[in-house]
Amino acid sequence: MNRKISILTPIIIILYAADLFGADKVLQNGEHHLPSAFMVIPFIVLLLMIATGPLFYKHFWEHHYPKVAIFLGLITAGYYLVVLNDTHSLVHTIAEYISFIALLSSLFVASGGILIKVDKKSTPMLNVLFLLFGAVISNIIGTTGASMLLIRPYMKINKDRIKPYHIIFFIFIISNIGGALTPIGDPPLFLGFLRGVPFFWVLENVWYIWLPTIILILAVFYVIDVMNKKGDSSNQEQTYTGKIEFKGLKNLVYLLIIIISVFLDPAVLSFVPGLSPLPFGIREIIMFSVVYLSYKNADQEALKGNEFDFEPIKEVAYLFIGIFLTMIPALQLIAYEAGVLSDKLNAGVFFWATGSLSGFLDNAPTYLNFLSAAMGKYGLNVNVIEDVREFVFRDDIYLQAISVAAVFFGAMTYIGNGPNFMVKSICERAGIQMPSFFTYIVKYSLIILIPIFVIIWYFFFLGKG
Amino acid sequence: MKTIDEVLKEKQTGLYFGNRLILPFHANFLKVIIDDEIIYDFSPGSKGIMIVEEKEFTNLYFLEHQLLKDSVSKYEAVKMIAVEKSKNIFDKANHKKLAVYLEENHTARIEEAGNDILFIE
Repeated sequence: MNRKISILTPIIIILYAADLFGADKVLQNGEHHLPSAFMVIPFIVLLLMIATGPLFYKHFWEHHYPKVAIFLGLITAGYYLVVLNDTHSLVHTIAEYISFIALLSSLFVASGGILIKVDKKSTPMLNVLFLLFGAVISNIIGTTGASMLLIRPYMKINKDRIKPYHIIFFIFIISNIGGALTPIGDPPLFLGFLRGVPFFWVLENVWYIWLPTIILILAVFYVIDVMNKKGDSSNQEQTYTGKIEFKGLKNLVYLLIIIISVFLDPAVLSFVPGLSPLPFGIREIIMFSVVYLSYKNADQEALKGNEFDFEPIKEVAYLFIGIFLTMIPALQLIAYEAGVLSDKLNAGVFFWATGSLSGFLDNAPTYLNFLSAAMGKYGLNVNVIEDVREFVFRDDIYLQAISVAAVFFGAMTYIGNGPNFMVKSICERAGIQMPSFFTYIVKYSLIILIPIFVIIWYFFFLGKG
Repeated sequence: MKTIDEVLKEKQTGLYFGNRLILPFHANFLKVIIDDEIIYDFSPGSKGIMIVEEKEFTNLYFLEHQLLKDSVSKYEAVKMIAVEKSKNIFDKANHKKLAVYLEENHTARIEEAGNDILFIE
């Protein structure tokens, strides 16, 4: 703890001394310094290490990934502080990271204290209905909450014939695409909501894209699962009670607190006080309090049944601080280039550009940067709430493309969205050998998701904007 | 030397020190899960685990871990599929799913992994 305080203290002192919380640091001509293109190297290195570490130097990676992620992040942070003299970008990023990890960690811990036991026979149709249920509730308790709540009962139902594809489709649907209908569902939509996108805008404008996508993916899953079921000869005579049991339902109160706290932002409710210049607000304080209280008061049997461990969220926390920091130059360069080329960017281009990068960069900051580029077409500023609302009203096809792509393409890799990693970790602890980073992409994402996304693009975004 | 069934019936416990787990029986191990590491390789050259049998007990050395207690939370178990040495390894009915919980004072509580424990063979 003392070491952590000593690392944070100089950073906080620098930020305060520079008196740059919330203030723009601009050049005389009014433009920000752009980072050197070489500064994307730490991000690329981190990305490559996340992909190759578990494969080729597992021991080193498992013991040292926090140091690697923080070290690479500090390189970028140091560059912005010392070379660019730009603390604004850092403060914004840290604030967004704190919001991100507050939401994910509170959902992770609160749902980890709820145990669901399902004693039913695994069938393709039951799995389809289960995944569909998960897709719906991920919009209420977030893709993280839904993933943590449902992954274990899902594995238990299928324990006699489970294959990696069961988990991959779970990641596709419940950990990602399912949560495309509300700001609570997925972090990029949450950030959009904070910036001024109306809460129900997503539901009204995405549901008719969400529904056929979910149906298509479930249809593919059903066919694969039927073929898998045919070859399964295990436990044909086992009987099932058909019961569904719950333990630790008191943690639903904490989930409710988290959902309500999403709205406790001065930008959303004017009576909520801000805590500027701190890079967090009342919402984050409530969420971190939920982490503590929901764990302390959790049903012990539920924690034991879920084999609760902080390691998955710890892994997300360390890796994503590295990703958030090292990603700053990449996103700024992308936003700049997108602004320069904005006249040439139609909805289809925004869809594919946002999507391609969301799969490899975290989808939340990627969403914001492409939103910024799209708003740039109209001379609007993503940092001004009124501008965002005007943009939504004026022509929302771009926002629709960016929102859909940011959420959907988060399913493309293990690092596309926070819950992906957590689900992988939980499954490995249960004994399921999960595909490697590259196998996931080559064998599943490219073959299943990309054709479906092409269909979506063709019908909803081709030639528009 | 007790059998796995006797150890389970009598609720006999094992021990753990550092990265060493000491189990009061002999067995052929088919799969061991610790943290998110799945170990299938029990050959002498394995980089994940080293198994050393003594007369009355079996040592499992987890080579990628310094302290077992740091790798396994209080709600988790080291999971393993083991087969009695005297039994037919090819008969799946003889495959025992075990969960070993690391408790205070270096005590390793050994249970049969029931339906409540998520353990995929």
